[in-house]
Amino acid sequence: MNRAEDLLNPTQADQFGQASAALLSQGSQALPASIKDRLYAARMKALSVRKAEKVWIRKPVLATSSGNWSFGSRSTWDTLGWVAPLVVLVFGLIGIAQWQEDSRINDIAEVDAALLSDDVPPDAYADSGFMGFLKNGGIADSSSNSSSSIQSK
Amino acid sequence: MASAQELSDFLSRVEQRAFKQAVYAVRDDDAALDIVQDAMIKLAEKYGDRPAAELPLVFTRILQNRIHDWFRRQKVRNTWVTLFSNMGKKSDENDDFDPLESLSAPDDSEIHQDGAHKLERSQLLQALESEISKLPARQREAFLMRYWDELSITDTAKAMSCSEGSVKTHCSRATQALAKALKLKGITL
Repeated sequence: MNRAEDLLNPTQADQFGQASAALLSQGSQALPASIKDRLYAARMKALSVRKAEKVWIRKPVLATSSGNWSFGSRSTWDTLGWVAPLVVLVFGLIGIAQWQEDSRINDIAEVDAALLSDDVPPDAYADSGFMGFLKNGGIADSSSNSSSSIQSK
Repeated sequence: MASAQELSDFLSRVEQRAFKQAVYAVRDDDAALDIVQDAMIKLAEKYGDRPAAELPLVFTRILQNRIHDWFRRQKVRNTWVTLFSNMGKKSDENDDFDPLESLSAPDDSEIHQDGAHKLERSQLLQALESEISKLPARQREAFLMRYWDELSITDTAKAMSCSEGSVKTHCSRATQALAKALKLKGITL
């Protein structure tokens, strides 16, 4: 436990602290050369990765009755930079949709052409009697039946 | 905004002091150099565009955080080392650690060049550094920031993430402990 006479008053404590700091500062100046070299290298490395300052550039702007237009400005190219891919994307999507539509129409046309050029008219497929005729053997069966009836006569 | 030259000047001004502070804390030159380098890089990389007046406080805070990180890593590493090797063996060498042994003795030739006064200052410095190394971490931080870095109580409290009252308490205890220890060795500053 500290005795009262051992304790420093605030002024003495400050003086002690400042004297200590002065002594420590002297000591830190006498570092070995190898340490100083490594600290120098570390400082250079730190400075090489220093955060870059923001640089503000004034752009030449032409004032016209319709508004302002800046020549050679980056903003125009920046705008083009994201508008152009967007336009290409939209036109690409329209082209794909168009191609799919044409393809679908061609498929339907092929089916229609096949139906119309067939021996059996398309309406026959909707006739329930014709479907029954097909199930019962079709043309071959009916022709054999007719020939047998002729012989019996 | 601090220019590159201002940042360079600031770093060259504080680098040796920062190194010594790190050595007092971690007691290893190589580790202290790594800590200071990390702190300088972090300052330049993240806060290089801050006004020059803000750099001391920011750098002090970064340095202290780096020192704390080092202790955390050491703790984790020691845990794994203890688990995987020498389960029943005690690390006697750590218990017998003497801070005096970690301090390099000045060259004799250098001492004799400037005579008895330099010898006295050198011994005084060695004794002071030894006692500073023995201080509890928070007391040492408060003492060094207040008197060596010359930070105000408010800035020290910000850097240490504690109240101003705590800074005063830590600083006072550190000063009393150092004065008492030095007095026992017959030294008065």
